[in-house]
Amino acid sequence: MKTKRLTELALLTAIALIIFIIELRIPNLVAIPGVKLGLANIVTVYAIYKYNAKEVAMIVFARVMLGSIFGGNVSAIIYSMAGAVMCLAGMLGVKRIVPVNYIWLSSIIGAILHNTGQIIVAVIIMRSFAVIYHYPYLIISGCIAGAFTGICAQLMIKRGFMGKTVEKNK
Amino acid sequence: MTKGVKILIIIVAALFIGSVIWIILSYRTPDSTYVEIVQNNKVLYTFDLSKEKDRTFRIESSDGGWNEIKIENGKICISDADCPDHTCVNTGVLRSEAIPIVCLPHKLVIRFAEKEQS
Repeated sequence: MKTKRLTELALLTAIALIIFIIELRIPNLVAIPGVKLGLANIVTVYAIYKYNAKEVAMIVFARVMLGSIFGGNVSAIIYSMAGAVMCLAGMLGVKRIVPVNYIWLSSIIGAILHNTGQIIVAVIIMRSFAVIYHYPYLIISGCIAGAFTGICAQLMIKRGFMGKTVEKNK
Repeated sequence: MTKGVKILIIIVAALFIGSVIWIILSYRTPDSTYVEIVQNNKVLYTFDLSKEKDRTFRIESSDGGWNEIKIENGKICISDADCPDHTCVNTGVLRSEAIPIVCLPHKLVIRFAEKEQS
């Protein structure tokens, strides 16, 4: 990996982490576990369309690990991790179908998968299906938040933030 | 717009509309006043809220955390907790069968019970 590439990844991780920590200060509008804007995922969506799978995974896992340590909510790491894994797997697949002009769409799908992963883990950990009742709310919030982060990422790529190249599908 | 994109948009739209319908259908005010407090899938307490006196008590979780449960005027809520996210406190009063009060870090659920229990 070239040093320039590594520096870009590190910079993106740092940006994601800063957004994540600032977002923790914003009070939640809806008191349902798992509902949040997920602004840090602007970076994830952006990275998915600009870097290859391995590099995106590095950014996301570093952000989730550091984010839960800095955010002081280490017990939530398993939820974030499950969400991140589902979201990454789904979006890397969807990226092959969805062109750059429809990033918001793949971002919505990523958000829904993220929430799905969290619900699955919640059901396993709580050993109870009570949290399933939150799932429709999470899908709706995922659609809204995903569309928003997706549009942000799309604007960043279109404006040529950090170079205009988009990772080609191999 | 390619075919793949169209299919994905339809799937997402269907999920979205499906969730809205699900929420509308599942939202009803509870007909029971029985509430159960569940932790680790074990029922700790069952109350009849219409008969309970106003009080506050703590539930300790196995990892040392606690949630303070408040019963007031036939309504139940979590008034305080030492969990990091405080989502359970922000949920407020238990209103609907569709939205139980959940504290993920302490694996605690407060919900309306289906029927009278001994």
